[in-house]
Amino acid sequence: MSRHAMSARNAHRVRALAITKLVGASIFLAGCAKDAPQDVFQPKGENAADINNLQYMVFGIAGVVGVIMTVLFVVTMTKFRDKGQPIPEQSHGKPALEITLTIIPALILSVVGVFTFRGVFDLAETKDTELVINVTGQQWWWEYDYPVQGDWGIDKPIITSGQLVMPAGTKVLIRETSRDVIHSYWIPALNGKRDAVPGRIHTLRLHADNPGIYAGQCTEFCGLSHGNMRMEAVALSKEDFATWVTNQQAAYKEPEKDSLAEQGEAVFLNQCVRCHQVNGLKKADGTAAIAAPDENVYAGAAPNLSKFMSRNTFAGATWDLLKKDCRGNVWDAKSEEFGAKYLEGVSADCLNEVDLRRWLRNAPAMKPMYADPTKLEPTDGKYRGMPYLALSESDIDKLVAYLLTLK
Amino acid sequence: MITTGSKYFYGVTALATIAMVLYMVLVNPNDIGAVALGSLASAAALLGGLTSFTRDSTAHTAKEAVAAAEQPAPAAVWPLIVAIGIVMLVFGIATNPIVFVLGIVALVAGGVEWLVQDYASRASSDSTFNSQLRGRLLHPLEFPVAAAVIVGIIAISFSRIMLNISKSAGAVVFIIVSSLILVVGFLVVLKPNMRGRAVGALCSVGAVALIGAGIVTGISGERAELVEAAEEDHYSHMACGAEADKYFDKHPNNAVSLKSATLATITVRDGKAVATLSGLDTPVETVTIPRSNNVQVLFRNMDTEEHRLVAELGEKTVADTGVKEKVEQCTQLTSEDQVNVLTLNIPKSSEAAGPYKFIVPGLEGQEIEVYVP
Amino acid sequence: MAIIERPSTELEVSITPSVVVPSTTLGNLRRPVQSTGWKSWLFTVDHKKIGIMYGVFAMIFFIIGGVEALLMRLQLAAPDGKALSADLYNQMFTMHGTTMVFLFAMPMAAAFANYFLPLQIGARDVAFPRMNALGLWFLVVGGLVLNAAWFLGGAADGGWFMYAPNSGPVFSPSNGVDFWTLGLQIAGLGSLIGSINLIVTVLNMRAPGMTMMKLPVFTWMILVVQFLLVFSLPVITVALVLLMFQRSFGATFFDVAQGADPLLWQHLFWIFGHPEVYVLILPAFGIISEVLPTFSRKPLFGYPFVVFSGAAIGFVGFGVWAHHMFAAGLGPVSVAVFSIATMAIAIPTGVKIFNWTLTMWGGKIWFTTAMKFAIGLVVLFTIGGLSGVTHSVAPSDTQQTDTYYIVAHFHYVLFGGMVFGLFSGFYYWWPKMFGKMLNERLGSWNFWLMFIGMNMTFGPMHILGLQGQPRRMYVWTEARAGEGFFNFGFWNLISSIGSFVLALSVLLFLINVVQTARKGKQAPLDPWDARTLEWITTSPPKEHNFDRIPTVHHLDEFFHRKYVEDEATHTMKAIATGEEIVRNEEANAESHIHLPSASYWPLVLAIGVGVLGLGVLYGVPIMVLGAAIVLLSSFGWVMEPSVAEDSDYDPPAGGTSKELASHG
Repeated sequence: MSRHAMSARNAHRVRALAITKLVGASIFLAGCAKDAPQDVFQPKGENAADINNLQYMVFGIAGVVGVIMTVLFVVTMTKFRDKGQPIPEQSHGKPALEITLTIIPALILSVVGVFTFRGVFDLAETKDTELVINVTGQQWWWEYDYPVQGDWGIDKPIITSGQLVMPAGTKVLIRETSRDVIHSYWIPALNGKRDAVPGRIHTLRLHADNPGIYAGQCTEFCGLSHGNMRMEAVALSKEDFATWVTNQQAAYKEPEKDSLAEQGEAVFLNQCVRCHQVNGLKKADGTAAIAAPDENVYAGAAPNLSKFMSRNTFAGATWDLLKKDCRGNVWDAKSEEFGAKYLEGVSADCLNEVDLRRWLRNAPAMKPMYADPTKLEPTDGKYRGMPYLALSESDIDKLVAYLLTLK
Repeated sequence: MITTGSKYFYGVTALATIAMVLYMVLVNPNDIGAVALGSLASAAALLGGLTSFTRDSTAHTAKEAVAAAEQPAPAAVWPLIVAIGIVMLVFGIATNPIVFVLGIVALVAGGVEWLVQDYASRASSDSTFNSQLRGRLLHPLEFPVAAAVIVGIIAISFSRIMLNISKSAGAVVFIIVSSLILVVGFLVVLKPNMRGRAVGALCSVGAVALIGAGIVTGISGERAELVEAAEEDHYSHMACGAEADKYFDKHPNNAVSLKSATLATITVRDGKAVATLSGLDTPVETVTIPRSNNVQVLFRNMDTEEHRLVAELGEKTVADTGVKEKVEQCTQLTSEDQVNVLTLNIPKSSEAAGPYKFIVPGLEGQEIEVYVP
Repeated sequence: MAIIERPSTELEVSITPSVVVPSTTLGNLRRPVQSTGWKSWLFTVDHKKIGIMYGVFAMIFFIIGGVEALLMRLQLAAPDGKALSADLYNQMFTMHGTTMVFLFAMPMAAAFANYFLPLQIGARDVAFPRMNALGLWFLVVGGLVLNAAWFLGGAADGGWFMYAPNSGPVFSPSNGVDFWTLGLQIAGLGSLIGSINLIVTVLNMRAPGMTMMKLPVFTWMILVVQFLLVFSLPVITVALVLLMFQRSFGATFFDVAQGADPLLWQHLFWIFGHPEVYVLILPAFGIISEVLPTFSRKPLFGYPFVVFSGAAIGFVGFGVWAHHMFAAGLGPVSVAVFSIATMAIAIPTGVKIFNWTLTMWGGKIWFTTAMKFAIGLVVLFTIGGLSGVTHSVAPSDTQQTDTYYIVAHFHYVLFGGMVFGLFSGFYYWWPKMFGKMLNERLGSWNFWLMFIGMNMTFGPMHILGLQGQPRRMYVWTEARAGEGFFNFGFWNLISSIGSFVLALSVLLFLINVVQTARKGKQAPLDPWDARTLEWITTSPPKEHNFDRIPTVHHLDEFFHRKYVEDEATHTMKAIATGEEIVRNEEANAESHIHLPSASYWPLVLAIGVGVLGLGVLYGVPIMVLGAAIVLLSSFGWVMEPSVAEDSDYDPPAGGTSKELASHG
């Protein structure tokens, strides 16, 4: 008998620990975790803050209920363990108590329900949107295009990938869709996630209080390289955003004559332009080089590389274009200095050549993709991802030099 | 235990199986030949199994033989059916393969039924038991086949009728028939002693009416508009120009998937074309279409005059002749308060060809620029 | 096989009685009549043997699914894991989920249901014994087909909810998804057959005096689960058929280019998938609703409330499916409505927790291993339930869904809830099933290791999820790991270590089983001072379950045969031991007991369906072969009389019909 009693005491101790751990953890999480870029308790904009308030409420209620239940369990198990008392009365319950215990949670939940109801509709509001950005998911990267919007100086559409650039303090509406399977767009600091479903357009509001860079990750399983499909949202002050817009729309800068980069342009025209568009790039005969990803890629698109070095990630935001210390310089910048640092783009000194070269050498070895030319039967000979191109080392040198000019 | 009679069938099974395997390995595993051999093997196995189960029908005692002889043979329709089957078979060879196939079906069905009935009728001297035996052997086969045939007849007859009469008449017919069925059902439930013959008679009348109407409407063919629509290629309403298709779906905006994937709505009101992006209220002057995506653009006409929306998507060079031709996509002519949809999928940037345009022919200066990044 | 019975001599009603043939069976194949050896298991229709086989297969798949989970935890223990490739990792989590849900949890619940449901209602067997066997063999064949994919080009890789269009032939080119759809269809057939069988059994075969409100709670919960299955399985079957037609026959149900809406799959899947959650948890609720009263020496507090809240959970469970889709873009109205509905379902669940706690309140609690697992369930399920409430707030859920927070939540509910309930059932009913006691000392180790391992594995996942680690990623990276106390590295490592502690606890259980089988001590007839009908018979029960069908007067019949209430003190006074009651039943045994005979056909039919399924993948001839087997075995089945002829027995069974029954 005494062993039963002892194990009972141990039981409630550990159980109490487990529950307080959960409750404590959620409170603690909210308070002091500063270093996890996708922490859901660190809202950096209006929408995420709305969600966060609801989270505090429901986690708080859950925590209180958890504590009450813990006390109840502990008392029950200590008080009524077998101490040799007689077998108790075989009572079948007390309806009044039952009904009370049903009504109390119902009341608590109706309060939660009212706030939830309001929250859902508040977050679905789109009427006061200031800027619209189209977001398209594809295995395994995100494309952003900015429809023509004169108020923002966007006179011709801007297209980029990997990093969503948006003005801070602005109500931005993203219109999501997908070209192949379902993906999910999630920047925890700015809003909850919303699936990008092919054949449908879903809207999601993003709002960032201050300039900065916010991490995110595709959260709907989207096939082989789901784990390598990331995104980053970059918020710039309105002035910096205007600068960024101007730069994105600026004309193509041809590489200097007789430079390595010029040879790189030739390699690009020969190899890369089959799929990758660079706006303004001209073929040898002077006509515009228009990429035809629809003829080579199953989903019909490949990242547009115009102003490539103004972004600082590549390949689905999985690898950085910046070396580690240069990246830290941008990511850890104070919000007032952030814009200037981000707009510097990638310089030759800061370029993460190791990963970029590895990618150019053999992309599918770095990121699992359906890019084996012998196994393309299900997709009618089209690739899902960047194939191995058998580029020579000197071609790679040239390409890197050329890519550095796309700024 | 393998009886003498079943050995033959088991032999056939084994040979057919070997032949099938060889055929699959040497010729083609998915060919009809393999199916035929496989079917032969299964059929022979079934027959072999049956002969084993029944011990070649030899498990009779002397007593039984006498008893069976005392029983008059029950009436059977099967010889007649077999005879009809043979006639149809021969007739079918000369005329129509369908008749030939029906002949085979009648022959096989009649043969199986005849064999089993004959076997069952001599199983014992008890005729009730004998008919139960027949049922036990054949009902598992008869019921599903009969059910499938009946369902098929009802479905085919009904579909012939519905394809023949006009849409509104079809609704009326549906209502009348379903109410009739309901009424009959009620009657049967309320008057349990009416069951039996009366119900049978009612069902027969219904069946005759249904099949008769089905045959009549089947012969007279589908209603005119369906025939026309098929000739006009109902679904290729993308081409611009003359109105090709008057049976175009007038309510595309009712489709959930269109509502959920609409990029923009272009509304014509008082002679002006106005574009709005879904999710936003304020009109926009340009529409940017994400590349390589199926994009739906709704066209809503609020004017009394008919209009259509045309997307001018630059030019393309025809590969054979080198001639450049315009790339256009149009909606149907849209009358007042109607909505039509344009589905676009533009894989390449409008970078080189300059902005594309949405125009509404007949409305001057109402162009909406279209960009593809 | 005896296909046709001739009229027996007792039934002479013929016009010519003198020439009626003697009672023989037509045909020359005998029914299987062995009562020992492997054949007695393969061809059995005895609900107890079928129940044990369900349990064995479920346990095998539990181990397979567990190894898959360990491999995943190995991969995720450190950043940029190298243990598995992306492709293999995707297959692992898909098959882990599928195996645990369809091949472990449901069959294990079916094991308990099959074994104990007829015993708890005082029946000799289920209503359709051959169908019962068919259900088992469908499950086994389905499980084999599902796992055959590992050796035939790679298993399914779309996640256990297999969202379209990622499951289409273009995006998942291996045959894995085909095996998955076929395997699940076959296993689903088994579950459907089983559920109809158990519903009929409960409704028609209760012992005299057992009204519905005197049913043991375990039986009640199983009944609710069977209704859930009957209504939800057809939906997933439709979805699977659509997917099969898309993949194998070129249909375009989920092909967006042809105008399909991929959300169709999600709706179909979750209309099945949410009730499925209750299919998994309610049996465990049922088990602990037996265990807690037994070891508290008190009836279940608020029996009608527990029963009706179970039914309410089942009913409302059909109206909350879209809470799995809060991020899918359904629009605010649907999201708000489903959010509120989800909160509503928390209420009956809360009622159950209160009732269990109040059952212990005022009791005389005996902390056996079974009781520890039951209490473990109450505690862990409470945690899982509370994290569940945080999901019901839709905006909050959009931050949590598809992260490890969700993984933590459903493992607290399903591992902490369901698995703890099942283990409670093992320890509680083992003496009944095998006549030997599982070792309590090892059991205690088993419990504590499992409790600690479970919290170590899944507790940190709450943190990981709230820190933003999405689920189903084959690697995680330092770049998104953070550096503070809540960094991914530390907690992923703890979780991985925890998973091996869990594995150790399961290993201890297996050791306990082996040891008990080899030298376990003989169990007394009533080791736990139990309360329900299954204890009014020997351990293990005889083939015909009860020597005399008990007549029921009370909710806890067995308990009330042992104790009467002292009018003055309202405490209970023992009047008979369980031993005495069982001996009394044996002494008054009924003489004529009719039991069904064993049959080959369920097994053959199930194999035929499996071959038919493979035919979908490997060509028409195999399909024809499968169809032929199905056809032949259906005929054999239909023509088989329910009891074998005396002459089929070797040596022929003579004498009383009771002896015949014990062989049949």
